[in-house]
Amino acid sequence: MDEAFLPFRQIIEEMLTFRGEFIDEEAGVRTYITDYEIESPVELDVSRDADGTLRIGSTPPLYYVNTSIRPSFHRLRFTAQITEDADGD
Amino acid sequence: MATENIAWQLEDFVDSLVVELDKTRETLAVKAINKPLSYSVKELSLDLNIFPSYDGDQVTFITAQPGQQAASKVSIQLSSITDQQVRATTKVPGAKGEVNLSEMELDKSTKKQLRKLGVNSVEDLKQIEDKNVDIGKVTDSDIDYRTLANQIQKSRRSQNPPTVRAVSLSMDENKSPYLLIQGENLAVDPAFLPVAVVNQTLAEVLSSSDREVKLQITADHFLAANNEVIVTFDPFAVVKVNVKAKA
Repeated sequence: MDEAFLPFRQIIEEMLTFRGEFIDEEAGVRTYITDYEIESPVELDVSRDADGTLRIGSTPPLYYVNTSIRPSFHRLRFTAQITEDADGD
Repeated sequence: MATENIAWQLEDFVDSLVVELDKTRETLAVKAINKPLSYSVKELSLDLNIFPSYDGDQVTFITAQPGQQAASKVSIQLSSITDQQVRATTKVPGAKGEVNLSEMELDKSTKKQLRKLGVNSVEDLKQIEDKNVDIGKVTDSDIDYRTLANQIQKSRRSQNPPTVRAVSLSMDENKSPYLLIQGENLAVDPAFLPVAVVNQTLAEVLSSSDREVKLQITADHFLAANNEVIVTFDPFAVVKVNVKAKA
């Protein structure tokens, strides 16, 4: 896989790494995100391993300048929901 | 810049995507142990810019690369489904002894035709056969049914192979010697008379059943201390045994 790209799962995991809780101690209010939807253009690098397994590499847009050769932006969209504990909390 | 993209089949791509998402789920499950607030992916979709091609056999796609215009678009959506839905829409996988289509000795064209019909194993074929469906009439295809029927028989036979329990030499009422082979699943095909060779000489089969086979022994068979007996019970079951004579 090209070194500029990450395995597809890492892109998802990185996007899921955020603090979903907001606490205002003065007001005594605790707010948290229950679900959210992300939509992003991504570049893809599809390659095959020595054992024939297809590898999907992905990265958000790498450059922020206009270039004569434009990357092909695919679109990734996913919904994430808060994971509830077994007791429903 | 990315390396040259390679052509892929939709099935391979979705498989890889699912594997990646499974790994994500595992990572998030570990994370949830220590982190009170964690999230899981419920739905995911990918809009891909691709160039499809058809080589007369299968459709493959190449993902568009920088600078490439006029690509087609394919949208893949993965949604969460419940265990109940999985059970309702999925066949019980890989039953013991099930023979996969890829393991069958069929030509490429027949395998392709069968795959199009959703037939992936000999078990699938048996189910169609059990419902008295004539695949040839339904699909107007040029599937080699003779080979297919043989494959089904071969598969069935491999699940019930012949087992020889005992071999003994006896005399019939006319004082003629015969070799009695006893066991299970021996001559199970009534349409096929077993063929036997004793010490490299053909032996007449006097009677045969699934439990025993009687072979006429003559002076031509030259019985000795060690004897080789080969019996073809049907086209898919051949047994070779070495019979030692007791002193």
